[in-house]
Amino acid sequence: MSNEFSIGRQNAPNGVAILGVKGFLDAHTFEQLEEAIDGLFAEGIFRIVVDLAGVDYISSAGAGVFIGALSQCTEHSGNIILLRPTESVQEVFDLLGLSQIFTIAKDPNAALAAF
Amino acid sequence: MERIGNGGVRHTLMVPSDTQHLAEVREAVQSVVSQSAFPARDARLIVLAVDEAVTNIMEHAYEEKRKDHLDIEMVLAADAAKFEVVIRDSGKRFNPDEIQGLDIEEHVREGRKNGLGIFLMRKIMDEVSYKFKQGVQNELRMIKYVGGKTEKPGRPAG
Repeated sequence: MSNEFSIGRQNAPNGVAILGVKGFLDAHTFEQLEEAIDGLFAEGIFRIVVDLAGVDYISSAGAGVFIGALSQCTEHSGNIILLRPTESVQEVFDLLGLSQIFTIAKDPNAALAAF
Repeated sequence: MERIGNGGVRHTLMVPSDTQHLAEVREAVQSVVSQSAFPARDARLIVLAVDEAVTNIMEHAYEEKRKDHLDIEMVLAADAAKFEVVIRDSGKRFNPDEIQGLDIEEHVREGRKNGLGIFLMRKIMDEVSYKFKQGVQNELRMIKYVGGKTEKPGRPAG
């Protein structure tokens, strides 16, 4: 296992930004995702898709980033959609009860249609 | 990693109190649980529970100095059906029992992130206990049994 972590960004139609996250989202790396999301907020972007297909592991620190972002997104008529979480990531969302609160999409088209 | 007298496995490590070492901790836990009888999902969750415990200590016990270390001892029972981890630190006292239960909807509504780690530790592990020796050492102990523990004395409901 390594702790390599990266975030890529794509712009999508209708003011949506897609952040593609790769690696481990733990207490050491979560701040990078937080900064990336805060950067979108500073640009006035509140419709965010986080592609989790490349995330091998998430802890509560990572989940906390989404919790912190959701209310800001919805207050600005946006949302933060979690796209194709891996099995292990989905397990953590289920344990925390987040699967009932966040919109989780299985594919990019479904994510973009969810706004 | 060593074999212990009764046929079990013990693995100990000492890590600096810095989150850059979390991956190393997870790898160590994985190396132990991979020898266990836990189903793959439970093995993953044990790794998560230890990560959460270590993260809490790193972030709370040593808020002002990151020069100390944590001692982590893991034991897998001879029948591979019980995993025990003890984490010792000499930082600020932190008792997970002092954190109340989690209302996730309220957390999300308020954008709060605290308490999630302890919630996961308690949900995943069958036993979570804490000892504090004033000015000396804190000791957090967590145990998980294959198939769960049928009797859970002293655990609060919910």
